Amino acid sequence: MSTTAPEPVAGARTGLAGLLVVPATLFVAIGLLGPIAILFRYSLNQFIPGQFMVDGLTIENYVKFFTDSYYLTVLARTVRVAVVCTIVCLVMGFPLAYVLARTQSRFKNLLIIAVVLPLFVGNAVRAAGWMTAFGSRGALNASLMGMGLIDQPLEIMYTENAVLIGIIAVNLPFMVLTLQSVIEGIPRNVEEAAFSLGAGPVAMFRRVLWPLALPGILAGTILTFILAMNAYATPVLLGGPKFQMMGPLVYGQFAQQNNWPFGGAISFILMTATILLTVAAHLIVQRRYR
Amino acid sequence: MSAATRPSLGRIALNAAAGLSLLYILLPLIFVTWLAFFRQEIPSFPPEGYSLKWFTAAANNQPFINGFLLSLQVGVAATLLGLLVGVPASLALVRHRIVLGPLFNTLLLMPLVMPGIVLGTAIYVFQIETEIATGLPVMGSQGGLIAAHTLVVIPWVVRLVTASLVGFDRTIEEAAQNLGAGPFTTFRRVTLPSIRPGIVAAGLFGFVTSFGNLEMSLFLVGPGRTTLPIAILQYLEWKIDPTVAAASLIQIVLIAVAMIVTDRYVKLSRVV
Repeated sequence: MSTTAPEPVAGARTGLAGLLVVPATLFVAIGLLGPIAILFRYSLNQFIPGQFMVDGLTIENYVKFFTDSYYLTVLARTVRVAVVCTIVCLVMGFPLAYVLARTQSRFKNLLIIAVVLPLFVGNAVRAAGWMTAFGSRGALNASLMGMGLIDQPLEIMYTENAVLIGIIAVNLPFMVLTLQSVIEGIPRNVEEAAFSLGAGPVAMFRRVLWPLALPGILAGTILTFILAMNAYATPVLLGGPKFQMMGPLVYGQFAQQNNWPFGGAISFILMTATILLTVAAHLIVQRRYR
Repeated sequence: MSAATRPSLGRIALNAAAGLSLLYILLPLIFVTWLAFFRQEIPSFPPEGYSLKWFTAAANNQPFINGFLLSLQVGVAATLLGLLVGVPASLALVRHRIVLGPLFNTLLLMPLVMPGIVLGTAIYVFQIETEIATGLPVMGSQGGLIAAHTLVVIPWVVRLVTASLVGFDRTIEEAAQNLGAGPFTTFRRVTLPSIRPGIVAAGLFGFVTSFGNLEMSLFLVGPGRTTLPIAILQYLEWKIDPTVAAASLIQIVLIAVAMIVTDRYVKLSRVV
């Protein structure tokens, strides 16, 4: 899942051709950058209960967020969940991505479809699957109790663990597909060269595969981190109303509280936190592995 | 790792780890499928028996039907619009040296990495302002929803069509023009057939992205007008039972069939 610009073909005629790119670019610029600018402007407005939104130029919405321990706890919880999910996705995704990239199987396309299909089915449907498994009489508790391993059903629904399990399953395909495309670009014979020079599998992985796959690892972790930070359906359905994360918090401010300025501010804080942490991770990785 | 020369124990461990990850990805879909065939309504294991009656229940559930129809309309419209503006832009970006080309490319791919929640809130306030400025009923309208979905379809079109153009041999077009074909004929008879797989894949991915979109759409749907994913979410917030599982399974099967059919035209392993 690379997002690099393709190299233009040399010698192509320019001129009117440039106009072809205008409609799409204009659409995205107006539909994406315009709304974000207005959202930022809204976040500087005042909210007076009963009067709805009052035009203003104040940072009180941001001050409110950063001085209230409730909101800070939600932010900290969101970051923690996102970090754990991203690490687990990387650890679980790498072997599958490697096998998919190197397999000669006739069923490779079917395996790829098996990874891509859940992506397109939607988060709510996948949460439904976990709800079936985690309930007090669900598949997991029923089989554990059937085997005599536990007497009381485990409390999994509406816990952080349920949300973690759900978000990891949602994000794992993104990680696998990103890593797979990068590993496929690494020639097989560099691995074989490492082996024939006496490296074991671990040394080969650490000294050859990991550094060469690093751009894909970075792209995959960034993508899964962004998605986990902004998860909505999974925390709502598996975490329940008491388990708040940033995504549901933003929606609640808009849909239930009608507090657009504060909702806009939280949305902006969420976006900024995501971007800052992503950039920080990028810099740390670059410094360590240059 | 060449299996012939390395100890096979590592190979087995690797395959087992990969298999576990794949199972983990598929597990929620397996549970939903299983639940859809339960005889009793409560999702308790082991099931008391199996039944097909929930598919009738799902097909008679008005919110699901309305949601499905709206998702279908919005998905088709957004995909067509996305292709209409996205394919020419991709052609221009790959084939011509455009001033600020990489910048345009980055901008066009941005909606893909933009969090759905942020995108939803931003477009919501944008629609409010548009409605105030123009007096047109934009908020909660189908047109507004289609426009927003077009925004998330465009990056898939640009990505997949540019990918299919990169390996394209330009000399074939020059040959066509040497033989007397005009620019339009060249495009229609030479360029278009060779990028058709990319366009088919872009259409499919754009459509399913739109069809499954939840976070952004949450902010943009109007009263009594919800898409299928939102209808499923709202149902699940209330309860989980075989009816919603059956509705989900129908959706899973439709998407799986669409993907397997598309895979015949363009190898999915090359485009995702």
